[in-house]
Amino acid sequence: MNKKTSMLALALGVSLAVTGCSGGSTPANTPGNEGTNNTSAGSDNTDLKMIMQYSRFDPNTDYTAKYISEKTGFNVTYEMLPAENADEKLNLMVANRESFDLMKLNAAQFYNLATAGALEPLDELIETHGNHIKNAIKPESWGSATINDQIFALPETGAGVSIGEELVIRQDWMEELGLEMPTTTDELYDVLVAIRDAKNIVPLTGSNDSIYGDIAAAFGVLTEWKEVDGELKHRAELPEMKDFLEYMNKLYSEGLLDTEMPINTAAKAIEKFSSGRAGVYKLAWWNAGNTISALNDNNPDATVTPIPYLKNQDGVAQIGTLANTTWFIAIPKSSKNKDGAMKLLNAKLEPETFKGMAIGEEGVHHEVKDGKYFPILPKFNDDLNNASAFMTAVDEENYPTFWQARVRKDATLQSYYEQFQANAEGIIVVDPMSLAPPIEAVSKNTLKLNKLLDDNVLKFIAGSEPIANYDQFLAQWHAEGGKEMVEAANEWFASNQ
Amino acid sequence: MSNTEQPSPSNAAVGVSSIKPSTGEKVFAGFNYTFFILMSIITILPFVNLIAKSFSSEEAVISGRVGLLPIGFQWGTYQYVLQDNMFLNALKISVILTVVGTALSLLLTTITAYPLSKPRLRGRKGLLLMFIFTMLFSGGLIPTYLLMQNLGLVNTLPVLFLPAMVNVFNMLIIKNYFEGLPDALEESAKLDGAGNFRILLMIILPLSTPVLATIGLFFAVAFWNDYFASMIYITNPSLKPLQLYLKELFVSSTGDFLKDNVDAALNTTPQSIQASSILLATVPILLVYPFLQKYFVKGVLVGSVKG
Repeated sequence: MNKKTSMLALALGVSLAVTGCSGGSTPANTPGNEGTNNTSAGSDNTDLKMIMQYSRFDPNTDYTAKYISEKTGFNVTYEMLPAENADEKLNLMVANRESFDLMKLNAAQFYNLATAGALEPLDELIETHGNHIKNAIKPESWGSATINDQIFALPETGAGVSIGEELVIRQDWMEELGLEMPTTTDELYDVLVAIRDAKNIVPLTGSNDSIYGDIAAAFGVLTEWKEVDGELKHRAELPEMKDFLEYMNKLYSEGLLDTEMPINTAAKAIEKFSSGRAGVYKLAWWNAGNTISALNDNNPDATVTPIPYLKNQDGVAQIGTLANTTWFIAIPKSSKNKDGAMKLLNAKLEPETFKGMAIGEEGVHHEVKDGKYFPILPKFNDDLNNASAFMTAVDEENYPTFWQARVRKDATLQSYYEQFQANAEGIIVVDPMSLAPPIEAVSKNTLKLNKLLDDNVLKFIAGSEPIANYDQFLAQWHAEGGKEMVEAANEWFASNQ
Repeated sequence: MSNTEQPSPSNAAVGVSSIKPSTGEKVFAGFNYTFFILMSIITILPFVNLIAKSFSSEEAVISGRVGLLPIGFQWGTYQYVLQDNMFLNALKISVILTVVGTALSLLLTTITAYPLSKPRLRGRKGLLLMFIFTMLFSGGLIPTYLLMQNLGLVNTLPVLFLPAMVNVFNMLIIKNYFEGLPDALEESAKLDGAGNFRILLMIILPLSTPVLATIGLFFAVAFWNDYFASMIYITNPSLKPLQLYLKELFVSSTGDFLKDNVDAALNTTPQSIQASSILLATVPILLVYPFLQKYFVKGVLVGSVKG
């Protein structure tokens, strides 16, 4: 009896201790008012704390950090989100009102925090302190950071509209086999068959994280969203999607497309291409330097050419891209120095300061040839390699030009970047949802539904699911939020016409 | 050992059949050797491949040509990693964490285990239950985070070892070991006038080196390999330990992280540098094993109690 009572007492004691612990944490959440009270008092305060995305360097000792504090007079402490589970970590920190003054967020994180009421509306602060900000950011860019007519972040649009990937082919093999450069998907098929038969390899490789691109575009699957007769359709809903899948399935079943494509990482696909186990690959220009030098190290006679974007059945070549806002720079409600934070954001966009941040000093970090900026190596890399991480919105007029200095760090990189852009010139189709503001049904569903789509697309390509079942899949896609998402997107689209 | 064939004269004298292994035994032994040699090869091969990659040229690594021997030999990757401030700083944090963490954990776990191993301790059952309760139930991640935050520990070095100071499982192992020591030893020390602390220090601990070495190794490896605590509590880049550094090095080079982030894609870490970073992060903890080996000796108790 005695034992039982003592056990009960113990259990009670322990449970009290546990609840006591969690109860003790509530006071930490309440001093929310403290933050707002101190806002005005901290106007001369130059100490700021910024949370940024993960990058592999120490931001507090970086050249750009020193440059910023020198030019703006603000003393900023930088902290980083982890590379993995960044969203969870961010939520944890915000829920605990950890005192940050600035946050660099991706679209999902921004929408999440803004709708949770964790971010400060910025309209007034921009009006008071934002003269340079208003010059730097174009009016149409603000839409992506505006929710219910209130601005919650500075949108950072990045380096402008450009194309990242294009199919490349082994030029030396084409010459050896007397093949013509393919211009349509049918010609591509013939070229792949010829390479397969002559070299006894599976000619086309790819990775599971980059399914769409040249071939999909030739069937009309250009971007995630497409305008069809004044209405937005998601790529999952396009009838062209089935044509694309049928073609890919044909390549797959005839030994023309790497059977491991559904599980390949980009590194694995590059390994196959650079070792000569594949001859056609959709290369990203930022991987071109490594890939081409590995290929030539392996086989000095190998040469590579981009395949010009393929023509669709109407004889027109097109390629899609997204021109959305990459980063959102927000001030959390819990910040104790909101004025200071906005002043810093403004000071960083002062034209000369911004230029120095982007490409350093002329003659030290960069030089100008024919109106183009070229990096001076290795100084440019030593000091400015991580400069992009420090950007908090950009001078949208000039940044794309400045930024291209980064591409000119390496001749191969530069050559592929320029070839891809030249091939895409005049045929780029921009995703109509690029400039959309955050829409709840879209933000909530996009990641999940795109994953669902990609997983199933890989199944259809590999033939583990017959394409006859596509409509069945589409119904499931609609049921799991697709319908809601498409309707919400169209509501915005119609009101914005 | 005795059943292997040995051409000693006594074998012949005693009789062949009882000493020579039967065919079945031979087959069994042969199978055993083959199996375990294969197992060791399987375990060692990835290391060999990693070493080869770390000494190979990046081109050879990218095109997947590196197997067990380096291709395009170079050792610039090691120079690079060993001059990288981020790596060195992470290494420093990990070493401090492992040394301080292991020492303190061992101390606290032992002095918790010792009294709990004594039946004469009043309320022992209740205390033990409270400890075991924490093994089965925990406050969960977020309450624990809140606690650390309220204690002002977030983004400090102690947060990485203070919460893990007493590991109940390890404490129970030590406690059971202490219980297995003969009471007579303690009694004799008491008769000679030793107090509790003296008994623990002079009698019990020297007899417990095998368990202390084992648990110490558990702690050291756990502290060295832990990335989770730092992932949760640390955002200050200069406080990140080596394992978190490594993890982020890899995650930041993969597709999901690089998607839509051209600037990150332009700055990925070459694979040969990744390989040498792993090796340089693994070797220090491997070095601990040979040094602890001599403590794993059994049978120190033999002859301590007579009669």
